[in-house]
Amino acid sequence: MPPALKAQGITKRFDAVVALSDGALTVERGEIHALLGANGCGKSTLCKIIAGTVLRDGGSVEVDGAPLEPKRPADAEAAGIALFYQELSLVPQLTVAENIFLGHEPRTRAGFIDRRTLEDDAGRLLGPFKVVAGSGLDLHMPVAHLAPDQRQIVEILKVLARRPRLIIFDEATAALDRRQVEFFFRMLRELKAQSIAMIFISHRLDEVFEICDRITVMRNGATVATYPAAETDVNRVVHAMVGAMTEHLHPPQVERPANEQPRLVVDRARGRRLRDVSLTLRPGEILGLGGLQGQGQSALLRGLFGADSLDSGRVNLDGASLRLRKPADAVHHGIAYVSGDRGRDAALHGRSIFENIAAASFIRERRFLVWPSRLAERFRQAAAALNTKYVGLEAPIGSLSGGNQQKIFIARWLATRPAVLLLDDPTKGIDLAAKADFFDLVQHLAAEGTSILFYSSEDAELLGLCNRILVFNGGTIAAELSGSTMTALHLTRAAYGDAA
Amino acid sequence: MARIKTLLAEPLVLASIAILILLAGGELLSPGFARGDQVTRLLTVSAILGIVAAGQSLVVIGGREGIDLSVGVLISLGAFTAGNVMDGVNGAILPAVLAAGGVTFAIGIVNGLGVTLLRIPPLVMTLGMMGVVQGGLVVLSRGAPSGNAAPMLMGFVNQPLLLGFPGILFVWALIAFVMWFLLRRTSFGYAVYAMGSNERAAALTGMPTSLLRTILYGLSGLFAGLTGVCVIGYTGNSFISVGDQYVLPSIIAVVIGGVSLAGGSGNYFGVVLGAIALTLLQSVLTTLQLEFWGRQIIFGAVLLGLMLLYGRQKQLRI
Ligand SMILES: Nc1ncnc2c1ncn2[C@@H]1O[C@H](COP(=O)(O)OP(=O)(O)OP(=O)(O)O)[C@@H](O)[C@H]1O
Ligand SMILES: [Mg+2]
Repeated sequence: MPPALKAQGITKRFDAVVALSDGALTVERGEIHALLGANGCGKSTLCKIIAGTVLRDGGSVEVDGAPLEPKRPADAEAAGIALFYQELSLVPQLTVAENIFLGHEPRTRAGFIDRRTLEDDAGRLLGPFKVVAGSGLDLHMPVAHLAPDQRQIVEILKVLARRPRLIIFDEATAALDRRQVEFFFRMLRELKAQSIAMIFISHRLDEVFEICDRITVMRNGATVATYPAAETDVNRVVHAMVGAMTEHLHPPQVERPANEQPRLVVDRARGRRLRDVSLTLRPGEILGLGGLQGQGQSALLRGLFGADSLDSGRVNLDGASLRLRKPADAVHHGIAYVSGDRGRDAALHGRSIFENIAAASFIRERRFLVWPSRLAERFRQAAAALNTKYVGLEAPIGSLSGGNQQKIFIARWLATRPAVLLLDDPTKGIDLAAKADFFDLVQHLAAEGTSILFYSSEDAELLGLCNRILVFNGGTIAAELSGSTMTALHLTRAAYGDAA
Repeated sequence: MARIKTLLAEPLVLASIAILILLAGGELLSPGFARGDQVTRLLTVSAILGIVAAGQSLVVIGGREGIDLSVGVLISLGAFTAGNVMDGVNGAILPAVLAAGGVTFAIGIVNGLGVTLLRIPPLVMTLGMMGVVQGGLVVLSRGAPSGNAAPMLMGFVNQPLLLGFPGILFVWALIAFVMWFLLRRTSFGYAVYAMGSNERAAALTGMPTSLLRTILYGLSGLFAGLTGVCVIGYTGNSFISVGDQYVLPSIIAVVIGGVSLAGGSGNYFGVVLGAIALTLLQSVLTTLQLEFWGRQIIFGAVLLGLMLLYGRQKQLRI
């Protein structure tokens, strides 16, 4: 039997940028195949070529033995290929059900949209997810009102609704918490039993080894190796991804005097998703926020940034009480906020990299006149601190890969030299090497005295980086971990509210 | 070939080509069309459209379906106010300009507050304002033409001032410079693009988006008011519907100039070319002795055609 997909020698240039020099990928029927590689190595581009949203310059693609020359997405769809977009493609004004069947609405005999069938079918698809999706994921809810993880679930359902034979999941789990991921994997295994072929892109290697049969690694636009997952390990894969690069370990943490005045004190903050949260953050401290997704971590960070209002409670910065009614209040006091939902919260689509970095500096410095040439050097340094890959500051933000875009949005805040850095799951979609750079930088900032509140949906990141971890459950702090209790076991237990 | 295709898709190139073709076409239809003094005349008319389109382009770039349908009545109001304040007296030109600009700026701010505070869609808000101002104008003027331009103002708009060009063209050049400076050399401009591109993200950098948007509508009102002053300078006196004919063209000029109606992109130089191209088109159509309604049909068709052309290239970014 021919493989479900066989792509060979794929090449693609975007003007000066060579996105793919030799992309290759073979996926069998009923196989879950991981596609790994650093940010900007060409994973998304290869998948878009297969799905017909990007035209290839050279190479060949065969689906079940038949050559595929997609001129537009519909051609690939007709061949049974569905792509889960890394950057989401939902229409905010439409409801969950409408989004799921967008462009494929069931029709009545007269040719009108058959709402009854549409909603029944959507309900059937959504049903199993309801348990893990949290409140508000309803068929009739406009997508604009959903949380990021809920939108990602809708995106997954949208793909499934097309009944594809080859599914490409481009960072589909990036916004999901552990429970949702487990559920998602159970679904993948069912699809696998129906001999559907799947490509799975993720920067979380533990997930890859958990679910995938084989692993293909790309580097700099070329496929470098394919391994059966059972016959390889994280080390080999990482080495293949980064080439000859040394391992990144978190550098030792700097001790600071214990009698220092606290930088940030939060006293009984309440809000829509917060119940009496109190905490103290010292200069140079990295304080982790842990727990399952949506337990109030983001609500707290957004509240401290003035983006969502806190109903009550006090916030003190360096001993002075803060009024946080809008983000500008926070920015002027040197508080920075990096969101993990970059498409919605950070990207100035269609604008240049320069503009994307500059945005926050103007506010922080109360700058009115702008001389781009004088600012460029500073922004270049901020971007360089994260090893961002880009052609020039004038290039549009959309020309960067997902991970490199996120680095630009972090650079945006680094350029403001913040005193308090609020990180809201900032490493979503960032590859291992970039994450290592990012963690180095965070620790470097902390050593210089920046205070950091860090929420991550990945426990390993919290455990590896933080001085202490506050575990959230139901909008309040359920436990504080430090010293010997900073273990994965304690973290998981506290997150699930286990007393044991 | 692909090169040429992308070049043609570039609004500035497209508008420039349109200008050349229209000039040549006009000259063919009626010899003398492209003569120096005729071109100056065309530029003067373009300037009037260009100034109101400056404000229109600001609200469009600012995004959230930004559009200002009240510019027509605000031009009329500006002309009415200026005409009555100066009433033919040269010495009263400055107070007249200030009064016209002040009143229309204030009304623009009200538009902005409606859009930001009350979250009324711009189309509805400015359409409603159009009705209110129109009614007000009828009451104030009792429907009769009123107000007179001062001779100096008329000279400034119609007579050569320097190098054979009337003063209004220098004002237009100054406005173009101010627009460039505002959009590319101040944080205000950068914030306008940021907000038009992704309002949520802009707000999350601390930008005061509601305030900025309110100011944009205020500026659109102000530019319309100044256009009203130019219009009365051009025609000598004002009647209550002088501004109506500018609403659709101000939007088309913005679109020809490459400003996306989705917001967050484009610049004023494109709009300048757009205003010239549209004025030329209008003038060619007049040469063809097309009635007012015929021109409206063609204008509408041009707008729809452009939307089709530019809209298609905007592909989903993934
Ligand atoms: N439309 C485009 N225009 C210009 N360059 C592009 C475009 N799309 C991708 N690129 C470039 O091609 C390269 C590969 O990008 P791609 O999105 O495939 O990376 P990726 O492996 O998916 O990375 P990530 O893990 O960060 O999502 C990058 O250098 C990127 O900047
Ligand atoms: Mg990608």
